[in-house]
Amino acid sequence: MAPSLQAEEVRVSASLNKRVVQVGEEVRLNIRISGANTNLQAPRLAQLAGVEAYYTGRASHIAFVNGVSSSNVEFNYTLIPRAIGHFTLNPIDVQVGQSVFQTEALEIEVSGGQSQAVGSQSQGPAQRVPSQSQMPPSVPQAVPQDQVFSASPGTDDNIFVQAVVDRKTLYQNEQMLLTYSLYTRYDTRYEGFDKEPETSGFWIEEFPMVDRDVPRETVRMNGKRYVKADVKKLALFPTAPGNYTIQPGTLKVSIREEPQGSNAFDEFFSDSFFTGGAFFARRQNRLLVPPPIQLVVKPLPENGKPASFQGAVGAFRLSATIDKDKVKQNEPVTLKMVIEGEGNIETITRPKVPVLTGFKTYDADTNSKLFQAENVIGGTKSFEIVFIPKEEGSSFVPPIEFSFFDPRQEKYVTLKTPNFPIQVEHSDQNFQMPQELAGNAIFQKQVKSEGKDIRYIDEKVPEAFSAHAVDWIYTILLWGDLLLLAFLLLLWMKDRQDRLFSKDQALRRRKTARGAASANMNRLKKLAHSSKEEDDVAFFVELEKAMIQYLADKWNLSTYGVTRQDLEETLTAHFGAEDAHLKDVFELYRLCDESRFGKGSVPQASKKIGLKIFQDTVNRIERMRK
Amino acid sequence: MKRLTWLLLIALWFAPAVCTGAETAKIFQEANTSYRTGDHAKAAELYESLTEREPGVATFYYNLANTYVRLGKLSRAILNYEKALRLDPRNGDVRENLRYTRGLLEYRVEDTRNWYLKATEVVLKYVTEREVFAVVLAVLFVFLIGGILFFLNGRGVFWNPWQQFVFVVLLLAALVAFGKQVQSNVIRDAIVMQKECEARYGPSEHDQVAFRMGEGIKVFVMDRREDWSRVLLTNGESGWVKDSDIAEVKV
Repeated sequence: MAPSLQAEEVRVSASLNKRVVQVGEEVRLNIRISGANTNLQAPRLAQLAGVEAYYTGRASHIAFVNGVSSSNVEFNYTLIPRAIGHFTLNPIDVQVGQSVFQTEALEIEVSGGQSQAVGSQSQGPAQRVPSQSQMPPSVPQAVPQDQVFSASPGTDDNIFVQAVVDRKTLYQNEQMLLTYSLYTRYDTRYEGFDKEPETSGFWIEEFPMVDRDVPRETVRMNGKRYVKADVKKLALFPTAPGNYTIQPGTLKVSIREEPQGSNAFDEFFSDSFFTGGAFFARRQNRLLVPPPIQLVVKPLPENGKPASFQGAVGAFRLSATIDKDKVKQNEPVTLKMVIEGEGNIETITRPKVPVLTGFKTYDADTNSKLFQAENVIGGTKSFEIVFIPKEEGSSFVPPIEFSFFDPRQEKYVTLKTPNFPIQVEHSDQNFQMPQELAGNAIFQKQVKSEGKDIRYIDEKVPEAFSAHAVDWIYTILLWGDLLLLAFLLLLWMKDRQDRLFSKDQALRRRKTARGAASANMNRLKKLAHSSKEEDDVAFFVELEKAMIQYLADKWNLSTYGVTRQDLEETLTAHFGAEDAHLKDVFELYRLCDESRFGKGSVPQASKKIGLKIFQDTVNRIERMRK
Repeated sequence: MKRLTWLLLIALWFAPAVCTGAETAKIFQEANTSYRTGDHAKAAELYESLTEREPGVATFYYNLANTYVRLGKLSRAILNYEKALRLDPRNGDVRENLRYTRGLLEYRVEDTRNWYLKATEVVLKYVTEREVFAVVLAVLFVFLIGGILFFLNGRGVFWNPWQQFVFVVLLLAALVAFGKQVQSNVIRDAIVMQKECEARYGPSEHDQVAFRMGEGIKVFVMDRREDWSRVLLTNGESGWVKDSDIAEVKV
């Protein structure tokens, strides 16, 4: 099937054919999944107390309209209420690919009717027989929700279950029947599956359990008589060859505690097996686990495999029709092929259509319908193909081959559609793609290389910018990174210094003393060059301040509280009492005093001397290690 | 006046480039015309002159290589395609023509290297050295900005998740850049230029011949000794060949 142009979104819905019913009356439940691949497993219904449920089959439909594919799969179930009341069918999980979708919840109103008196079958005996005639009258009985089940595989030979396959060696895609047979000597009610069978690697179809005649029989095993009933049947199709182990799951049953005596055996079976038995009897729940099943799936033989074989296994018939045999050019002719038979009908794909040069070919519609007959899954699958003749004259739709492997005969069978002659009349109408078939063309011409050679030269003059763009970006980034790195280093050093200074104020003053002294020096130089008389006084005031600030910062003395006496003592301690420079500093103080008290009578040369002493002092102290 | 002086200086700076660009474009057009009219010998000569004038332009190498294909000089063609790829590694035309030209060679060397070596080579060959380093510098730029903001914003958390992420990207980019550096400058590609080339077990004529190969085969130069080079092939074979027999893929 050609892929669709657009796939619609998945929608899941559930519906009942009636909402108000009487006890024992059948209700049809339909679960519809649209927009998904048709390759889906039937959803499993949760057990609902008072309502029996049977799977009755599936139907699928694929269509292409206006370039959009639409697919629908329907799963049908029959529900039979066994008690009066209002029932709510909880949302049903539907697995589509990896996603799980849910239907809406559904309500059923069950009223009493002609069958009300026979509601004792409410908990579904094996086969969930809806037949009223075989059931003794009793009151509807509900199973408690919180039951405790005791697993007893093999511990009680009065009740056991066998999962039996009709063959242990089969071919890939061949149908195999898995039957669950319950053997019991008790008054037994079958409650469904506690754990579903593990069947990965198989395509599964479940047989509906709506037969009114329950297949049950009395059998004798190991000297004991049992009632045997087939409670579940599954058709399995292995999708790949290999050795498989099927874990058959766990069945739930409830029994009356004591096995029946042989004297009452016949009577018991005739009345109470799977009928729910006496309502007031004490019942015990059991889990029954059949042993795993080993299977060998053989690959399909390569010998004699036809080219048209696409995996169909079973026994099929092929029929085909065309809707008209006389058309105009570019007018569509529809071929309908129907494959019918038993086997993996659901997974059959459209037979290959031969390449037709005189036609345009499109997929139009696919339909499938399944049925279960006896122990075999079968159905019909139809394919519609549209042929649009391009040329006038006599033509024909050629035979289309469909091959399948018949496992009974162990050989491949090839079927062909007839050769349909078509008379194509001339038409001047140009070909127009039918809108509903857009995107479904089966054959389209492929663009193919006719020869090989080198590609042509590039004649576009290379632009300087594009040719060197990366080089320029590289250079800009390189310089940018270097600048940022330098800036970051500066920030880091400053940050480190700030942190050190915040811990040690004396250090901060000592380290910044020289900078402050330099700034003061520049200011003093400007004042020294000033010709204003008041600036002479200001010069020496500032000089003394600068000297005091520097010395106080350097030796961590209070700038405001320090006296000249303190400074002289500190200088003497550092320079020594006989130091010549010490005398210069004292001379500086003298000059400052003279200026202050002499009202500007200090000569210009004294300013230079004062500045020099200040500068020498700074230089000398900076050279000192401490 | 000051502004005028600056404009004049800028104009003088770009003037030679503009003149050169015009001249280059003229030669390029002439070479293209020669190629189109089938005068491939003249086209090759003109393209060769262009690659000497502007060695950083992939188009010149590509067109030159095409011209050599037309002249049947396959080893020269492959050498120039390889050079064009060095400059413009994602050029589909160059890659396609190189593949086509290799298909015309007499000899073929199977690539038996490990898949991860092949994958690394393919990835690294997809970018130029400059591009990789530009990426490293761009990531470093972001990282440094982050560091500066950390100090300017009054010391928040420096090693925050963003900085960690940028640092990891920086390390990865640096790793790729290192690989590219090795590929470009340590593992030196060369092309066999002689019709027949003998690789010997040692760097002399007296040594036994290890294997023979034909023109256009790509080799990796592993060692040099006087006039001989030790080359490694992608099938694992190695041998000594004369320097004159091979040409390194160098732009």
